[in-house]
Amino acid sequence: MAGASEPQASAFSAAELEFLAEDEMIEIVPNLRMDQLNFISGDFGPFRPQIATQVPLWLAVALKKRGKCTIRAPEWMSVDKLAQVLEAERDSEKFQHLPFHYVEISRLLFDHAREDIPDIYMVRSLIEDIKDVRFHKIGTGLEIISRERTYALRLKNLSAMEANIVRPFVTRALETFFKLSSSEMIQESDHIPNRQPQATNRGPRRQLKDR
Amino acid sequence: MTMGRAPCAPFCGLPMATTLLRASTSDNSICIHSVGSPSNMLSFLRNHREGVTALALSPNSTCLASGSLDHSVKLYKFPGLLTWPKTRVDSTHCAIPSPAAVSTNRNRNGVDLLEMPIETIFAHSLAKQACGRTCFFILLKCQIAKQFDLQNLPISGFAVSVGSIHIAIRAVAFNKSGTILAAAGDDEGIKLVNTIDGTIARVLKGHKGSVTSLSFDPKSEYLASLDSDGTVIYWELQSGSTVHVLKAISPKNGGDMSALNILAWSPDGEMLAVPGLKNDVYMATSGLDKQILIWDVDKKQDIERQKFSECISGMAWKPHGNALAVIDFMGKYGVWESAVPLTMKSPTENIPGLHSKNGNGFVLFDEEEEPAVSGNLSDFHEDSHGEFEPPSRKRLRKHSNYDDDWEEDCNDELESIPKVESRKKASYGHKGNLNGKSGSRNMIVTAGSKMQEAFQPGATPAQPGKRHFLCYNMLGSITTMEHDGYSHIEIDFHDTSSGPRVPAMTDYFGFTMASLNENGSVFANPCKGEKNMSTLMYRPFSSWANNSEWSMRFEGEEVRAIALGNAWVAAVTSLNFLRIFSEGGLQRYILSLDGPVVTAAGYKDELAVVTHSSPSLPTDEQMLEFRVFNIAHGTQPLRGRLPLTPGSCLTWLGFSEEGHLSSFDSKGVLRVFTSQYGGSWLPLFSASKLKKPDENYWVAGLSASKLFCIVCKSPESFPQSTPKPVLTLLDLSFLLLVLTWVQRSIEERAASGHDTTSLDDEAFNLETSLDRCILRLIASCCNGDKLVRASELVKLLSLEKSVRGAIKLVTALKLPNLAERFSSILEEKLLSETSGNTVLPVRKSNSKKSEGIVPSPAHTLPSTSSASKRDDEEPCKDRDGNSKQGQSTTLGKATDVKTAVKLKADQVHSLGETKAVKVDQRHFSRPSNPFAKSASNQESSSLFDSLKKMKKGDMKDK
Repeated sequence: MAGASEPQASAFSAAELEFLAEDEMIEIVPNLRMDQLNFISGDFGPFRPQIATQVPLWLAVALKKRGKCTIRAPEWMSVDKLAQVLEAERDSEKFQHLPFHYVEISRLLFDHAREDIPDIYMVRSLIEDIKDVRFHKIGTGLEIISRERTYALRLKNLSAMEANIVRPFVTRALETFFKLSSSEMIQESDHIPNRQPQATNRGPRRQLKDR
Repeated sequence: MTMGRAPCAPFCGLPMATTLLRASTSDNSICIHSVGSPSNMLSFLRNHREGVTALALSPNSTCLASGSLDHSVKLYKFPGLLTWPKTRVDSTHCAIPSPAAVSTNRNRNGVDLLEMPIETIFAHSLAKQACGRTCFFILLKCQIAKQFDLQNLPISGFAVSVGSIHIAIRAVAFNKSGTILAAAGDDEGIKLVNTIDGTIARVLKGHKGSVTSLSFDPKSEYLASLDSDGTVIYWELQSGSTVHVLKAISPKNGGDMSALNILAWSPDGEMLAVPGLKNDVYMATSGLDKQILIWDVDKKQDIERQKFSECISGMAWKPHGNALAVIDFMGKYGVWESAVPLTMKSPTENIPGLHSKNGNGFVLFDEEEEPAVSGNLSDFHEDSHGEFEPPSRKRLRKHSNYDDDWEEDCNDELESIPKVESRKKASYGHKGNLNGKSGSRNMIVTAGSKMQEAFQPGATPAQPGKRHFLCYNMLGSITTMEHDGYSHIEIDFHDTSSGPRVPAMTDYFGFTMASLNENGSVFANPCKGEKNMSTLMYRPFSSWANNSEWSMRFEGEEVRAIALGNAWVAAVTSLNFLRIFSEGGLQRYILSLDGPVVTAAGYKDELAVVTHSSPSLPTDEQMLEFRVFNIAHGTQPLRGRLPLTPGSCLTWLGFSEEGHLSSFDSKGVLRVFTSQYGGSWLPLFSASKLKKPDENYWVAGLSASKLFCIVCKSPESFPQSTPKPVLTLLDLSFLLLVLTWVQRSIEERAASGHDTTSLDDEAFNLETSLDRCILRLIASCCNGDKLVRASELVKLLSLEKSVRGAIKLVTALKLPNLAERFSSILEEKLLSETSGNTVLPVRKSNSKKSEGIVPSPAHTLPSTSSASKRDDEEPCKDRDGNSKQGQSTTLGKATDVKTAVKLKADQVHSLGETKAVKVDQRHFSRPSNPFAKSASNQESSSLFDSLKKMKKGDMKDK
């Protein structure tokens, strides 16, 4: 193993990912009257009771904790949509389109806005199922790395959490393959830790999943 | 006696056809009309608590039964037929049933026995049994059929309960003698019930779908049944065997039970109409094309037709004359006099059986409603080439030898194309005659739609078992749910942080009206009988004294509409009194209004009341009138007609956040009152313009530029109370409004220094965006070679820079002629500005401007300042920093639609280093659009915000 890539370097912790996901926008229905909030990230509001408005998730959660709003579950979090996605996920090889932070968003909403999500138990189990199916797909898909010389992977519609989980393994595996396959690189590898094997344009590019 | 049924309107005609009875499921009243003048309502019967679903007259017309959603049947003594027209003068008294009869019925049998809403009532008489006893037969919703006997009623209530048939009953029929009842429903079997002992005599099996209609032939030898698949089966009663099966002869109507196909035998047993309406010689049919056709049965051709504005849901022949009573889906009804042309044989000629039939009063209701079979059905008459034969309009003959006739019938259909010609020939033949007496023929009396009843803005109709809104406004909502005889009322504020927390309340009065504002809530209930008088109750949310809630009982009058304002409560009663109470329950004024109230709304000191000024026009337009009262000053600043879209009714009335009176009608048009053109209504929003046919808008309120409403998916027209509905903002017709208001003189309004900056900034932004729109219009006008219009548009531009832009634009478009004109307009504007009195909305504050510099907010401050002074009281309040209070007072003052922008020059001084102060000698009012105010309403901008703006202003200055 190349000493340069330490196992934790590229992976975020779940909490960090959640933090990143908190910048996603979500619709809330405030029950207070408040002026526009001017933040560095943008202006949000004005807030008027019973009139829906878009705010970042962190603000929504903060307001929710104080009982100042109800969060409206995003469209993709309805039972119908999720059932559809789950079915498609099972049927097809491809990854279905879901928000990049779907794991984190759903987690945050389940934690803080249980009562605002219609059919929460159903939604929750559907999301769990989708997650499982996708992780399984990734796991089986990674098997093909070993079959041939692989220098890059393209995973479309992969979510943040999923990418985060496979990232340490994939990058290191690819690196290793790269080193093993290119004899001339072997000597140099001690000096030049190549963290981005896909940048070097050697060998055929392979895709993990056919898209 | 005939009777038509419609999903929305039971309909009943008296045998002598002197009287029409009308009721509707949406309404608890039965209206009695005289046929001669259907618009003239003789009387109302209001004894049901909920909508009337069924009406039946006893064959000898002495007794009327009505069934209702409230699970009760009421019997009314009906005046004798012959005396009825004579006693018309005091007919109101005649028609009112003796209360004893009603109450007896209700107490003994009403609520307890009938646990289901009543679907239909049939009247029949047991002719063979002694002296024509009359029985009413009640079909309870989907479940149980019950029969009761009129004579026995006071003694035994429901005399016979016809063996409980625990299926959903869709159809029942009696044979002529009244001894056999056929009942059928969702299972395949048709049950023949012996009415004397209530046993099931026979079950006829054969239908696949649920049976929708049953009919005995007049000789009681055969039974015809029609199911929802469109199959008609003829049964021989003796053996119980099927004589004939006709598959798919009638349109399928699936599960749609609101559109029934009903079959009926002709009185002489010769023909069966499936579905249709038959009068022995003539037959009337109606279809989705909204026409009624009169057919000559023997000649098989239509002889007369009449187009109506809505689909016809039911009709009935006048048994002893040449007239057809018609009711449509919208509840409009009328009598078509001389339906059969006078030159033809009278429909009542040569019918020996008719009288006797009337005597025994078999319910001959012949009626049809066609389900939507295909889209092109509705306009099949427009294309005169060919298929005019309506698919569902089948006429079947039944003779001893069926087969001939079935063939004939099939031919009938196949021959539809030649038939067109024959029809035309026929009409040519009659032409002379038709013209000759067309005057008398077309006497269609449409007794227009009802005048709408009183309502509360923001209330939704009561739904059993569900919570509904008594009041929903921009502040909060009042919801109620009936439970075990009393209601549970909750008051919620949208803004949970600032609104008072109001405990839920148990309501023993059964309030149906409520109104809510910041300080309190007011409730009222209509009177229900003698014991439960109409009550008005006021509940303040906070008061310095204990027990400050009060209630008021009304004797002999009934509260119809209530409104709430700043320390006053208004109630409009059935005697057309407007009673105004103080917060403490003191009756301050009583005014007499000049019409029945429609609704009322309050806002601060202002009360708006809408009343009917006259009955609806025959063109389906209601005549409404509004008045606005100022309670604090005891004045009536506004009064006039309330416009409505034709054919619509008022669904919401209220004040915008700025205090402009607004109305919303059922066709989705929002109107706002303006003082422009001497006081007129501007249509600012139309739901039909949004091109979203599947959405209904339920208005909660509006601000200057937005309409706040709850979007309901189409079949529903009002929101449910749970989950809490979310308001949607819709744009008003912005440009139109601004353009019309721009030229108006602007009233001044005081604002504090900080507000001025933000407000002015906002106004400036609005102006530029408006100018941008106008410039775009100018460009398109130039392209479309409408130069005069372009020059008119230039005059509307408010900023000098935009005028210069327009000049550049037309030069680029190679229209030097127009460019010249534009520059002269610009010069004119500049001239008029420097002279001090601005007519045109362009500003030029100093010489720098002529070089085309954008006027900075700081510059515009003095330039917009005004010379007109105002009492200092208001700005002081504003400066107190209590922006909310300031806002409310200013809102209160801005009573008319004029929105004001007032900037005080001296306050600008206080802003400090604004250099432009020196220009403030030239005061002129800057026309700004009234929406600028909305910006000021949301004022109390954060300190950071205002700092930012000040900085921006300074930078622009330099």
